[in-house]
Amino acid sequence: MPAIELTHLIKTFGPVRAVDDVSFSVEQGELFGLLGPNGAGKTTAIRCMLDIFKPDSGSVAILGGAMSEAKKDKIGYMPEERGLYQDIPLDRCLAYLGTLKGLSQAEVRQRAEGYLERFDLAAHRHKKVKELSKGMQQKAQIIATLLHQPELLIVDEPFAGLDPVNTQMIKDLLREQRQQGVTLVLCSHQMHLVEELCDRIVLIDHGKVMIYGGLEEVRRRFSGNALIVHADGEIPALPGVERVEPVNGAVKLHLSAGAKPQEVLRALVAKDIPLDRFEIAMPTLDEIFIRVVQSTPQGQSTPKGQGEGGGA
Amino acid sequence: MKKILIVIKNEIITLLSRPSFWLGALGLPLVGALIFAAVGAINNNASASQTVSQVFAGPQEMRPEGYVDLSGILQQIPESVPPGTFVAYPDEAAARLALESGEIAAFYLVPADFIESGEITYVRPDFNPLSSASGDQSDLFAWVLQVNLAGGDMLFANLVNGPLDVEQVSLAPVAAPDEDNPLAYWTPYAVTLLFYMLIISSASLLLSNISKEKENRIMEVLLTSVTPRQLLTGKIIGLGVVGLGQTLLWLGTSYVLLNISGRTFQLPSEILLPASFLTWGLVFFLLGYAVYASLMAGLGALAPNLREASQATFVVMLPLMIPLFFSSTVFMEDPHGPIATGLSLFPLSAPVAMMARLSSGGVTWWQPWLAALLLAGTAALIVRGVAGMFRAQSLLSGQGFNAKMYLKALVGRM
Repeated sequence: MPAIELTHLIKTFGPVRAVDDVSFSVEQGELFGLLGPNGAGKTTAIRCMLDIFKPDSGSVAILGGAMSEAKKDKIGYMPEERGLYQDIPLDRCLAYLGTLKGLSQAEVRQRAEGYLERFDLAAHRHKKVKELSKGMQQKAQIIATLLHQPELLIVDEPFAGLDPVNTQMIKDLLREQRQQGVTLVLCSHQMHLVEELCDRIVLIDHGKVMIYGGLEEVRRRFSGNALIVHADGEIPALPGVERVEPVNGAVKLHLSAGAKPQEVLRALVAKDIPLDRFEIAMPTLDEIFIRVVQSTPQGQSTPKGQGEGGGA
Repeated sequence: MKKILIVIKNEIITLLSRPSFWLGALGLPLVGALIFAAVGAINNNASASQTVSQVFAGPQEMRPEGYVDLSGILQQIPESVPPGTFVAYPDEAAARLALESGEIAAFYLVPADFIESGEITYVRPDFNPLSSASGDQSDLFAWVLQVNLAGGDMLFANLVNGPLDVEQVSLAPVAAPDEDNPLAYWTPYAVTLLFYMLIISSASLLLSNISKEKENRIMEVLLTSVTPRQLLTGKIIGLGVVGLGQTLLWLGTSYVLLNISGRTFQLPSEILLPASFLTWGLVFFLLGYAVYASLMAGLGALAPNLREASQATFVVMLPLMIPLFFSSTVFMEDPHGPIATGLSLFPLSAPVAMMARLSSGGVTWWQPWLAALLLAGTAALIVRGVAGMFRAQSLLSGQGFNAKMYLKALVGRM
């Protein structure tokens, strides 16, 4: 039973179709990346998952069925637009949000204690939230999201505004949650972190699913016909190789259509070229992201940065 | 239900923990008590109204006044007037001389054509706009003239002065207060103002509360735990309880502080309000609060921030302000005329207007019932309309806002 299952989801705001026939599922216990440029429809999809928005059509199954009051208490959500009560002390803010998730005051106190210590916020618990730094508020928001020990955790840009030390702390925390069996959905524009953490991804652009699958599978799919070769000496002309491009002390061999890496390897060995390394050139998630987003008609016509604003 | 209770509890605790709330809640009775204490220190025996006028106009002294009667009407000074109160002078020059020498405080010049013109000149050395020319002695002089015009017959003069001595029997559920009593006269105004303040202050809390949550961006986090309706219900009840508590606090602290300041708050029997007034007060406060708090919640839901909501706030609050505009005329002069009756039955102005009329007494028994019924129906419709606009999409939207858009949303056309 998937933790989340979206089937042909459509959500429209006036003339704008924010989510357009989106289908994907998130398996229990996996760390799933929900990616897309700003305004792609990620937040709307999440709000539909969480029953904040009702979809126009399609269905959402969460933790095995429709959303219920009891299920709400099993879900933790940290939105991209951070929000905490600014004028009340941190401990009271956490107590309110925790009790709304079904915890008793005593449970909130006990659990908050541990998290506040871990995130170096124990000394600031009686301070008003607005008196905390941006990074501290970010950590406080994460505590509020985890306090009720959710089964499903949806975190939108959890690394935004954090220094490397705190970024590492959050990475460790997400891995720890995963080890404990929590299903995680991670939205982030920091692709190297997604590559590092996620098992599978979905990339949405203009409301549509552009890529969906396991991370390695996706990278392989976008690897194109190219090889990275670390060799001692010049690479001669080889059958099936269209172009040779130097890349960071190695060479990237662009293969012609139909050419196979094994044939190129055989040719290199036959020509007695000493090889240090021979690998299929795998694109980074960053490269895949840019390639996909720019390949859509809207992406080609929209200059980079235009239409940003998120929340669609 | 449990989550609604959590929201209620949070709203109450959050509001009560704000210093600004206590400043407002305790500040008003404190200022009132300080004023009473200061007034009490100035004159411990005088009534409040006398003392206040003395503060501005200076202490009153009963000094003799003169008169020059060129009409020949003033043949005698009635026995009821203390001797030496009025001193006769043969002409204006003699009276002016006496005034300049300080023998008299002022003098009246009754001209020869007084019977035709009815005019009398009152001459005094100083000018004090706050010191009324129709003070005790002017009234007394008027009485002297009246007795003399009646040929010296005091009983006849008395009857001319007030021929209609009516004993009023009211069939209304509340007692009609004495209209001649200035405190009774001002009671409708005070009640209008009190109910306006109570409803506006309590309802406005809801607007600022929701706007703040939108600005703090906490709304999206809350909506993963509670539904918009649970949130709305919790907020209306929570802030309503605080509003009701604040009302009791104002009355309670006023009573305590006034006692401490040594001046007990004793209403004259003419304006004592019956128990039914308090019951109706509670009914109209709660229904009025339900209507205006819902309207404010709707504003908070649609407007992206408090600043943009302010233009629509005036439109929403206007019906409640109308009785205030009329309070010094309609509700005090003619509390049962068509305008006052119409405003007290019109649901949006009823919470204030009906209470103002009830405080003046003599309201036909069925009118409060009809007003409450109409108000309850309106409250139900408005709560329903606002619940419709209190949706996640509105709460999370940052789009522009105007009063027209709000009214359209209220009737479900958006």
